Parts: sequence; C-alpha cells; structure tokens
Amino acid sequence: MSRYQVDKIMRQIVLNPASAEAFQKDAAGFIKGLDLTDQEREALIKIDYPTLYKLGAHHFLLNGFVMRVWPGDRHALMAEYSKNLAPHGYPDVST
Amino acid sequence: MAKLVEIIGVTHNPFLPGLIAKNAEPTVAAAAEDYKGMQEKMVQAKPDVLIVVASDHLNQWFMDNMPAFIVGKAPVAEGPFPWEARSFGLAPYKTPVDVDLARSLVRDGFRHGVDFAFSEEFMIDHAFTVPLNFVRPQMDLPIVPVWTNVMAPPVPPAERFYAVGRALREIVEGLPGNQRVAVLSSGHLAVEVGGPKRSTYSADPDFDRRMMELIKAGEGETVVKEATWERLCKAGNVAAGFLNYVLLLGLAGKAPSATGLHFPESTAAVNYMAWDLHNGGGK
Repeated sequence: MSRYQVDKIMRQIVLNPASAEAFQKDAAGFIKGLDLTDQEREALIKIDYPTLYKLGAHHFLLNGFVMRVWPGDRHALMAEYSKNLAPHGYPDVST
Repeated sequence: MAKLVEIIGVTHNPFLPGLIAKNAEPTVAAAAEDYKGMQEKMVQAKPDVLIVVASDHLNQWFMDNMPAFIVGKAPVAEGPFPWEARSFGLAPYKTPVDVDLARSLVRDGFRHGVDFAFSEEFMIDHAFTVPLNFVRPQMDLPIVPVWTNVMAPPVPPAERFYAVGRALREIVEGLPGNQRVAVLSSGHLAVEVGGPKRSTYSADPDFDRRMMELIKAGEGETVVKEATWERLCKAGNVAAGFLNYVLLLGLAGKAPSATGLHFPESTAAVNYMAWDLHNGGGK
C-alpha cells in the first residue's frame, strides 16, 4: 500500500507547483500523517532517490520528483543519477 | 462505409521539438524531414478525422483508477500539461474531438471484444501534442484520443494491443457513412527514463533494429511473439511504449510498412512507420 502512497506524493509534487514549494519548505510536514513506512518517510524527506528507487518507487515519477525538488546542482545530479541507481537493478514498481 | 486512409506510428520524445528548432545534429534534421513527410502524407490522405493512440505519463490516469484502454469523448482535446510545457518548452495543441466517432468506438468496441473505458474530462499530454504539432500543426482536424496503459504494471500484453488494433479497424470499417479516418499512434522503441541505463541514444539498438525490420516486412505476429513484457523491460524501463506500435500492427494486418529509424548521438531513437492506405499501401 505505501508504495502507492510514495508514487502519489511524487506525482502531486510533479504536477502541482504549490505542492512542490510546500514540500521544499517543510518536507516532513508535507507528508505528516500519510501512510508510509519509516524508511519511505525518511527517504522522501532526504530526497534519497536510490533508496526510493530500491523500494519500488515508479521510475518515471521518481525522476520527475527529484528533478523538481533537488536542492543542489542539477548537472551534478544528472551526471550521477543513473550511476546511483545501477546497484539496485530494476525493482518491481507494480502497486 | 467509413474508410481507413492513413496509419502512422511515430515517436513522441519531448526534447525533439527543441532539438529540431536548434537543428542540433544531422540525425535530428533527418527526423525533422521525416515529420514533414508525415505531415504531407496526412494532407494527401485527406482524412476527416484522426484517431490518436497514445499513452498518458501518469499525469491523469494513475494507479487510483487506471484504465487499460480509454477513449476521450469530450468536445475538445487540449494539452500538454503545464509542467510539461514548463519543463520541455512544448507548444500547446488544441483541436475538436469527433464525439460521435468516440462514442461509436466505445459502443462498437463491446461487439468486437474491447471494453473501452471513456472520459468526458481530460487533457492530452506530450505523447499526443508532440507528434500532433509535427504531423498536423494546422490544428484543423478533429481527433479521437485513445489512451493506453503502458506505464503502470500490470500492462496489457502485446497480444492484447494487437487485438485492440484489429478491433479498431473492424469498428472503423463497419461504420456507416463515408468518413475518411486516419490513425496516428504515438509510441517509441527502446527508451529508458530515470533508470540505471541513462543511454545517450537508443537504450537497446538491437531491439530497435529487429523490431523495425519486422515491421517493415509486415511480420506483426512475430513482433507480438517477441515483444514480451520481459523483453520490453530489458529493452528499457519505459520501452513498453512500443506496445502502441504493436496496436498499429494489429490495425494494419499483415501489410508491410514504410519505416524510418535514426540513432541520434544525443537523444533517444527517432523512428516512424506509415501505411499509406489511400495510396494503395497497406496491402
């Protein structure tokens, strides 16, 4: 169930600029009370995309989410993104 | 009876409009030429309406309520989504929907083994607007949007896409009146987005060449056998978009297609296929 919740949060942030801004201001507050595991919650707050990927977050939404809210340098992110996912192969993304 | 006059399958890479505008590289220029050729084919075919088959990138059809195949029957189709326009610099597209034909597809689908879902409220995302802006920039042709689920597993298998294509042809050719109907299917070959294989061109050139050879030879049934979920996943994490081409193969029957395939250096494979039925093709 919570894999679906992760996808739903990421999608909301991709589609809605106000949600993206709210998440960037207070990620923990944004996801407070939602049905997530501790590991998912922590990975979302930290934008720990390799962990989210490993847990089966949908790759298309994850990519859009990270590109939208990443606080650091985008070029550096894009250079390392695939490399950081590679150890996890292709996790099942079905909900 | 209504007549099928043109069938075109083409990619919808959202970076392509920008690359073409910049005349980025020879293979992109070749893709631009192909798009011009498709635009010309569509003019020559003189369609009254265009059925557009494409995916939705989880923008509106989502895992809360995911249709396998859904027909849009609101009066107007418009897109892309604001975030896509912002991220990729995409031009808007807006055109009327042929609501009568949309209703016929749903109604007659039941008799042809396809239970299409339908929607009265939707937008079309870049999978529609990118090819439409190239192939019909005039925005003067009514469309019927048909979405397929190629994003959220379980995705229907290739056999099902092929059968839906065949059913679409039977439905169109069984319609009363003398409407000229064209079909545009928006898909792609081996593509990976946001996965370990951040490829600079095709995510799997062997898959691309093999499939395009089979399509050119009219070997649709072989494509169906080979385009298994496992093979598609190996080709790329969003390569299931290829299934929209498989739907066209069902529509075209055993007819060989004109095809084009380019491997640019800096973007995904650009490809197209066309069956010029109005011109004696597709037999």
